Amino acid sequence: MSVFFNTCEVFLESGFVFSLIAMGYYLSYTILDFPDLTVEGTFLSGAVVYGLLLHHGVSPWFALLAAFLVGFLFGTLTGVLNVKLKIRPLLCGILVSTMLITVNLVAVTAGIAGDFKGETSSMITIGRAMETLMEVFPASLLPDKVSGIGLRNVVVFFVLAILLKLLLDLFLKTKCGLLLRASGDNAQFVVTQAKDAGNSKILGLAIGNAYAAVSGALYTEISGSVNQSMGIGMVVIGLASLIIGLSVFSRVHFMKATTKVIIGAIIYQACLTVAQKLGMPSAYNKLIMAFIFTIALIFSEYKKHGKHRAKHRERKESSHD
Amino acid sequence: MIELRNITKIYNPGEITEMTLFHDFSLTVEDGEFLSIVGSNGSGKTSMLNIICGSIPIEKGEIIINGKNIAGTPEFRRYTNIGRVYQNPSMGTCPSLTITENMALADNKGGKFGLSMGVNKKRIAYYREMLSTLGLGLEDKMDIRAGSLSGGQRQAMALLMTTMTPIDFLILDEHTAALDPKTAELIMQLTDKIVREKKITAMMVTHNLRYAVEYGNRVIMMHGGNVVFDRKGTEKAATSVQDLLGLFNEISIECGN
Ligand SMILES: Nc1ncnc2c1ncn2[C@@H]1O[C@H](COP(=O)(O)OP(=O)(O)OP(=O)(O)O)[C@@H](O)[C@H]1O
Ligand SMILES: [Mg+2]
Repeated sequence: MSVFFNTCEVFLESGFVFSLIAMGYYLSYTILDFPDLTVEGTFLSGAVVYGLLLHHGVSPWFALLAAFLVGFLFGTLTGVLNVKLKIRPLLCGILVSTMLITVNLVAVTAGIAGDFKGETSSMITIGRAMETLMEVFPASLLPDKVSGIGLRNVVVFFVLAILLKLLLDLFLKTKCGLLLRASGDNAQFVVTQAKDAGNSKILGLAIGNAYAAVSGALYTEISGSVNQSMGIGMVVIGLASLIIGLSVFSRVHFMKATTKVIIGAIIYQACLTVAQKLGMPSAYNKLIMAFIFTIALIFSEYKKHGKHRAKHRERKESSHD
Repeated sequence: MIELRNITKIYNPGEITEMTLFHDFSLTVEDGEFLSIVGSNGSGKTSMLNIICGSIPIEKGEIIINGKNIAGTPEFRRYTNIGRVYQNPSMGTCPSLTITENMALADNKGGKFGLSMGVNKKRIAYYREMLSTLGLGLEDKMDIRAGSLSGGQRQAMALLMTTMTPIDFLILDEHTAALDPKTAELIMQLTDKIVREKKITAMMVTHNLRYAVEYGNRVIMMHGGNVVFDRKGTEKAATSVQDLLGLFNEISIECGN
């Protein structure tokens, strides 16, 4: 029984944490139709900022906010490259995340040892001496474990995921959010509303990456450290969670897309965790990740086939005038 | 007043497909004019509207709106006092937003798009009332997505939405072309009513010669990047579909078709 609860604990924790990337993707990929590869870099940036600030004794809540802002900033950069400099979406993501490899590395060595050459250790261990999110108010009020089963982490991550989900839902209902949805839907319409659709796009990418960075920051609470390879695979995790969530519940209309996405993230993590518990060596992790994602894609494409073709047709028609 | 002065427009300049559409093209549309534009395919009607709105760049010339040369103004800024309805009904609304959300966006044109609620609950009754004037039953399904409406319904909404906020100019490019005859007639009447009531200066491209004759107070015919026929006032009122059709044939014969 305790194996079961332990398994649940593992995938719920990571599910809630990664659901933030997936929510970010809901904004950039689903709404704005922008396949954003920047998240591999911003996920790690979030972790780096969080780890560094914790290392220097800054309040974890403040560090979380800082991670959000840093993600926002680099997302803005991707947006500006695409909107103002007309670079293709995929390339913008590749450019910014490549640049971030250096930035993230040097940020750690400089922040820890004052080394701007990036030659010292680039790892941050979230040690006992540091005050983490779980040890400060209000998380500290919760019992860490209940009869041997971890509770605090799951609850904190759950509350944060819900909070960020509600914020995103609320934002999408504001005038600014409405305009953003409109620019993903019909950019020309936004232009005839005398608004620059590009600005909405930049904002969407900024928020998407801010969410990815917060996800990275929270992930350090699970992994106990910041290492430079943390961001690898985040595009797949985010997209897979998003697509699983949206396709499994495609016929459920009362549920908000952001809720579906959180559940999608949990389903995805559950599959991965179960595979591991069944004895799959951890070296095979990424292979399984890609495999499950592929299945999810085939499943959702199959379901959406008719709709996709209709959309394609519509695009073709509109390009005629 | 819209004034196009000595416009030169070249498509694909410097390439083998280079094509000069407009050379020293000029046209003045006075305030209060409702101008119908007819002309064969490829005569430059859409291009002219695109030039006014800034959707395509020009090589030379001035675009003067209300006394100011806007040739360098980006497209989105020009729409502050211009409204536009396209031939394709899906261009005028956002498919995944509800009718209410679409109306709310249009209602806020020219305003700030900040963090206040997108749909102002107090305005919904007004939206409903406006929609009910269309007689299409849209007022009863304001919470469904615009994407699930028919082309005619969307076009009617688009027209309503572009003219919700005060605009000086209305640009219509074959906006009834994708509609069935009955809905097209309805949209035309609605257009006429809005243009009169709000005293908007309108430019309407149409291939329906009857609309060009029945509606508006000026008609021009374009051909090969030139205005080949221009009538206004009583002269326009005396123009018949036969006159326009005759002219059309004349031009085609000249071109050797
Ligand atoms: N993007 C473009 N690139 C190159 N040539 C173009 C482009 N758009 C239009 N043209 C050319 O300019 C000419 C005028 O086209 P335009 O679309 O303005 O015609 P139109 O009068 O609106 O015709 P229609 O009645 O078919 O809508 C055509 O010969 C067309 O081939
Ligand atoms: Mg045309």
